[in-house]
Amino acid sequence: MKNHLRRLRAEQGWSQAALADKLGVSRQSINAIETGRYDPSLPLAFAIARIFNAPIETIFIDERGEVPSSRAAE
Amino acid sequence: MATGNYKQANRRYHRYLWPTIGLYVVVCFGGPILLSAGWITAPWAPAVIGIATALPIIVMFALMLRLVEETDEYTRLRQLRSIAIGALITLSGAVMIGFLQLFDVVETFWTFWFGPMFFAAYGLAYCVTGRLTSNGVV
Repeated sequence: MKNHLRRLRAEQGWSQAALADKLGVSRQSINAIETGRYDPSLPLAFAIARIFNAPIETIFIDERGEVPSSRAAE
Repeated sequence: MATGNYKQANRRYHRYLWPTIGLYVVVCFGGPILLSAGWITAPWAPAVIGIATALPIIVMFALMLRLVEETDEYTRLRQLRSIAIGALITLSGAVMIGFLQLFDVVETFWTFWFGPMFFAAYGLAYCVTGRLTSNGVV
């Protein structure tokens, strides 16, 4: 899953270690998420969204396609 | 599984790990000295020293399990993968040596080497798992 974490973090002027501290995770976790090697769980994704005060879907991008048409019509 | 706190988990792990390693070193070197110097001659002494030497290692396994439970989710994934790879290599070695002994190719093998063998395989695997993606692809 792609994400805008690196850009958002850079905009805040935070290092990976600083963001990791805020989230209570390792610096390696942040690096793995930024490079797309690891998709965070929902609780961690929501924690990231809260820290950047942004909706979760603007940070994480679902590359696997669009919303199914039946769902989109709802 | 909820994400834990990486720093707190690490701090707690190291707080108990180093005294356990220290105890292991003391018992590991002190036990044979006590026996060979003849300071303890009771027939049960070798058994007690043997068990006392193994106990700190068992505690280290338990500490490792607690670290896995308490750390953050990405580190937990890496740890579990590394433990699985370490167990796979160690158990493969154990099975291989077992059959070699059965067919008299290998005479004796000190089974306590499986402990260091596991930790070595686990450590090497931990270096590699950092390159894996969530799906296990490099």
